Amino acid sequence: MKETRRDFLKKSGGCALGMVGLATQMQHLGTMSAMAQKVIDSQPQGGANYKALVLLFWSGGNDGNNMIIPNHNDAAISNYTAYSSVRNTQGLAIAQGSLLPIAVPRLGGLSYGLHPNFGPVAGGLNNGIHELWAQGKLAAVTNVGTLVQPLTKAQYSNSAFKKPYQLFSHSDQVDQAQTCSSLTQSFTGWGGRVADRLTQTFNPNGLVPMISSISGAQLFTAGQGTLPLAISSAENDTNTATNNLQTVLNPGGFGTNPTGTTLARLNAFNSLRMQELSSNYIASASHVTDLAMQANSALLTSQDTTPEGRFPTSSLGRQLRQVARLIKNRDGLNINRQIFYVQIGGFDTHTSQIGGQAGLISDVSQSMRAFWDEVVAQGVQNDVTLFTLSDFSRTFTPAGTGASVGTDHAWGNHMLVMGGSVIGGDFYGSLRPGDGSGNYYPTLTVGGTDDSGSGSGARGRWIPTTSVDQYAAVLAKWFGLPQDAATLNAVFPNLANFATGTFPQLGFLP
Amino acid sequence: MVSMKPQMYLRYFTAFFVFWILAVPVFGQQEDPDPNSPTPVIVRVKGGKRILAVSAETAARPSPDSPNIESFPPNSRVAIFVRNLELMEGEGANAFRVIAEDSRGHMFRFPVVEMHQVKGKIPTWALVFELRDEIGYWGTPATGDVLLRVTWRGMTSDRGRFGYGETGGPLKDDEIPFSRLYGYNPPAITLSKKKDDVDAPEYVGYRWSGDRMRFLEQATFGPTAALDQRIRRIGLSVWLAEQFEAPYPSSFNPYPNHPLKPSNAPADCDNNTTVPDVPATCFRDTYTMYPIQTWSSKETLYGDAQLRHRVAWALSQIWVTSGNNIQQSRHMVEWHKILSTNAFGNYRTLMKEMTLSPTMGEYLDMVRSTKNNPNENYAREIKQLFTIGLFMLNQDGTAQVDGTGAPVPTYDQSVVNNFTKVFTGWQFCNNATLCPNLAVGTVNFIDPMLLNNGSTNINSNQHDLTAKALLTYPGSTTTNIAACANCTTMANVTTYANNSMDQAIDNIFNHPSLGPYISRILIQQMVTSDPTPAYVSRVAGVFNNNGFGVRGDLKAVVRAVLRDPEARGDAKTDPNYGKLREPVQLATNFLRSFGVRSANGQTQSDGYFIGRGEYTGMGQLPFQSPTVFNYYPPGYVIPGTALLGPEFALMTTGTAIQRTNFINRFTFTAIPVPVSAPNAPDGTSLDFSDLQALAASDPTGNALVDELNRRMMHGTMTAQMKSTILPVVTSVTMSTTPTPAQTLSRVQQAVYLVATSSQYQVQR
Repeated sequence: MKETRRDFLKKSGGCALGMVGLATQMQHLGTMSAMAQKVIDSQPQGGANYKALVLLFWSGGNDGNNMIIPNHNDAAISNYTAYSSVRNTQGLAIAQGSLLPIAVPRLGGLSYGLHPNFGPVAGGLNNGIHELWAQGKLAAVTNVGTLVQPLTKAQYSNSAFKKPYQLFSHSDQVDQAQTCSSLTQSFTGWGGRVADRLTQTFNPNGLVPMISSISGAQLFTAGQGTLPLAISSAENDTNTATNNLQTVLNPGGFGTNPTGTTLARLNAFNSLRMQELSSNYIASASHVTDLAMQANSALLTSQDTTPEGRFPTSSLGRQLRQVARLIKNRDGLNINRQIFYVQIGGFDTHTSQIGGQAGLISDVSQSMRAFWDEVVAQGVQNDVTLFTLSDFSRTFTPAGTGASVGTDHAWGNHMLVMGGSVIGGDFYGSLRPGDGSGNYYPTLTVGGTDDSGSGSGARGRWIPTTSVDQYAAVLAKWFGLPQDAATLNAVFPNLANFATGTFPQLGFLP
Repeated sequence: MVSMKPQMYLRYFTAFFVFWILAVPVFGQQEDPDPNSPTPVIVRVKGGKRILAVSAETAARPSPDSPNIESFPPNSRVAIFVRNLELMEGEGANAFRVIAEDSRGHMFRFPVVEMHQVKGKIPTWALVFELRDEIGYWGTPATGDVLLRVTWRGMTSDRGRFGYGETGGPLKDDEIPFSRLYGYNPPAITLSKKKDDVDAPEYVGYRWSGDRMRFLEQATFGPTAALDQRIRRIGLSVWLAEQFEAPYPSSFNPYPNHPLKPSNAPADCDNNTTVPDVPATCFRDTYTMYPIQTWSSKETLYGDAQLRHRVAWALSQIWVTSGNNIQQSRHMVEWHKILSTNAFGNYRTLMKEMTLSPTMGEYLDMVRSTKNNPNENYAREIKQLFTIGLFMLNQDGTAQVDGTGAPVPTYDQSVVNNFTKVFTGWQFCNNATLCPNLAVGTVNFIDPMLLNNGSTNINSNQHDLTAKALLTYPGSTTTNIAACANCTTMANVTTYANNSMDQAIDNIFNHPSLGPYISRILIQQMVTSDPTPAYVSRVAGVFNNNGFGVRGDLKAVVRAVLRDPEARGDAKTDPNYGKLREPVQLATNFLRSFGVRSANGQTQSDGYFIGRGEYTGMGQLPFQSPTVFNYYPPGYVIPGTALLGPEFALMTTGTAIQRTNFINRFTFTAIPVPVSAPNAPDGTSLDFSDLQALAASDPTGNALVDELNRRMMHGTMTAQMKSTILPVVTSVTMSTTPTPAQTLSRVQQAVYLVATSSQYQVQR
């Protein structure tokens, strides 16, 4: 039975103060005061028309060149030999025989190969995500990257054409992938801006923010009026652990039913958060604490602790498990739309890439599959879409040789999208701007048409043919972002530079 | 558009105002000046809530006699008038900020472009600003009245109404003016200095009690009664001079000195597989960060050279390496020695030693970068993160912009490629004659990296001998390294490579962005997150020249950071001043406030509160930064405020609760000595006995809360905050003869509430 807001406030005693505090602070911060007021005034109504986006960020710059590899010998398009001739000598090529084949209808059914660790791995919990390709639940968007406007190779070296600021720098490229603002620095992420515009529509009475990060403060999650619920990962999967989301937000020392001095202290603790809000630093710290106390109160009274299925014990596995837990509690938290941020680090493989990336891909594949199985079990597989982003891809030419071989920072990369609504089993992306030449996969020629570099300095840094903005816009559209020009311009300021229309080549979601 | 260079006219400058000569180092025996800056006062329309404002569109030097205008169109130039200032030489427009809040509660900052003194009996200055937001977070203000304030050196004026576009609108005036927000009288007009010190009949070096505590929050890992006493006696100047010479590490706490171990940990750490390790902690002490974490922790809690440790800690968050990738604690120790040795040395030396550090070489791959297989990692990050940053900076730290208003990049990919070539060929020191600390079976993380490992065989050269183009910038001199003309012998290669490295490091070291880039981060680490350009410029000026023609003198820079008038003062009222305490500072400041000690109270804490999840939960496990980008980036902007607040990158709904839980744990319990595990041999607890005595002496609780106000908040606790805490304290029943349990509970309630409050979590 659902509780009314009034009951909830009564029960949570001192914590109710936190709600008023939230409203006060939001007003102070100029954010969402109307929404917070509504929370107080109205009754919960959750559940219907649910959708969630899960961003899995490959931190450090995942080498897409070793993730999706040509598995054919077609002479008309870069084939396995084009790949291995550059990467094999220094020990960076993945053996063709070990690739997990995927058919690509958009390229006439040619075979490509996923890195072998996308399949079953030793000691794994599941079969990985390779088999989801054939089931049409997994798609790839190829050669995606940060762009201000479409760029040909000639335009890249012409200063009249705008390029992303500080290409090849981690922090800047991460920011741009998360903000969709490659011309100027942005204070807000595109996830946050989507949430800014949809919270009132879909989560008017939500008890937690639309966005959650299971990996700390991330620019992606920051809107003008949106702060994420940022919490830690779930505990290790032991199948016996208390499946408790609320503990991570529970301040210690107050117990469940404080009385006397303890209750007085709790009330004072809450009250102090409403003081000296004229200091922006104090107000910001109080605001964050208040969000935690609010979510804690909500979860205290309405937590679904049904165990999830098995997840890897890795950081990513535990993050995705926490996501699954929040999805499971969507009704209690009274939200119809959720955006999640999870992250796996270690992709900055300047050295020792073969072993390093293999381990990371195992983790990605195992964790994504566990997550897929869990959303299927929860019956929300068609309502949840997981997608990836990364800083950038890595140079096609190796750095170093032998066991320590690695790669340096590059640009255009391949992304994966997984979900029941995904029109999977294919590549998506654009052809080269202007003449529409090329393929839905970069031409693997160092110094060639898709390489931003030429001559001796060329390393195989592919100029993206699809911008992160286009990719993100497809996801946001599915999620429910209004498609009027004003909204799109505000959320994706450079999107209009691209001939988007209905994204004929990017229709990986309905 | 060119970035505006503020101009300063100071017509009536008199010797009286020369309190702060920052470009010249202050020597030990010099008397410390009054640290308090006056509170700026905006001239208002007579009798009203509205600010007196005139147009600065045409008038060269607008004055208060010009026609007052109630509202101005966006983008116009406006002059307002400020009194009650004491300016020092060179202090001008970029020392001031004009902050506006509109009726929606959004914050804007209007760029101050000019300042000059106007005629009149009362010293008054015109501040000319452009009516456009320079932050760009909230777009444009809502039309109508906005509340405007002027801030300067961390002090704010009261706010008054100002018409943006038009007057009126749903704006509310401040109920309590800023000048009366706190329970004390903010230092008002300080033209007449108080000479007596009422507290102390004996000689007193530094009588400003609020500023003593603030100074210690900035310069150490937290104030203690002993340090407070010390500074009260000898003053800041002498204390700084003492600290610059203090032995380090503390005599009771030498650097961990565990031997290097093989990279592949043997089945048994001590190489003897038949019996358990002797000692049993061999693996922990070798292959984990435990030794350096506990060592550093003890140095923060008890060390004598607090300032050196603090500056080294700040530098460690610039020149980041991490135990997540570096295998052995001993490797991290050697990296830390470079930071601590050079903390009061020269930045050029730090750059060179760090470039040759095997730990850094391992972390950012320089040790594997060769002419045929170059690796860009170090070549990129030394510029982007450790020295000059991505955008060309003015001396005041603001970014230079091009004709379209876009920031000017410092370098491009080709420069990274060229520096990469310079840094090729160095390897771990593994040469029996040239590497004194070589130990068989281990990788040498102690001696600096060695070019080609000292080989004399020309065929084994790994250094790139081709020409390199370095950074070019205004004033750059040697920007090209020619290809080596005579590299037919290894001796010549070695000479060429070492010279090239020195040229490349000099090329970065002399870049004009270095001073402002490093100065701003050090200010952020120690004092305040969003310093004024004027403050950055003063410190960067000292970085550029310490007064004796030396560039990069960190001792002078640290002194300039800590002695600046924007740092000093008993209390700062600017609502955008201060910084969130990072988890390490929160923990150490809190623990040092209450006589932190071992679990049984007999000895020092073992320093092992770090590995138990507290720091991890709060997001900052020392020596284990998640990436080379540190735990938090110096450019982090707090969502919803547009303010710089680096540490807020660690402040999430999850970590916020962990922070309160850290306080809860140490206030109400302790870290006991575990029954079996060796990691916490002495445990950690707090000593509240002096506070319990205060609690017993005053049943109203006032004495207790007042002491916490002094000790933890340097006297800035508001009356409202005190009145929130007192009833909780007095809700603990106290007998006529109070029991220890009663007084302890009273102390615990108060300590918990102060320490978990945002008012304490933010260092102001």
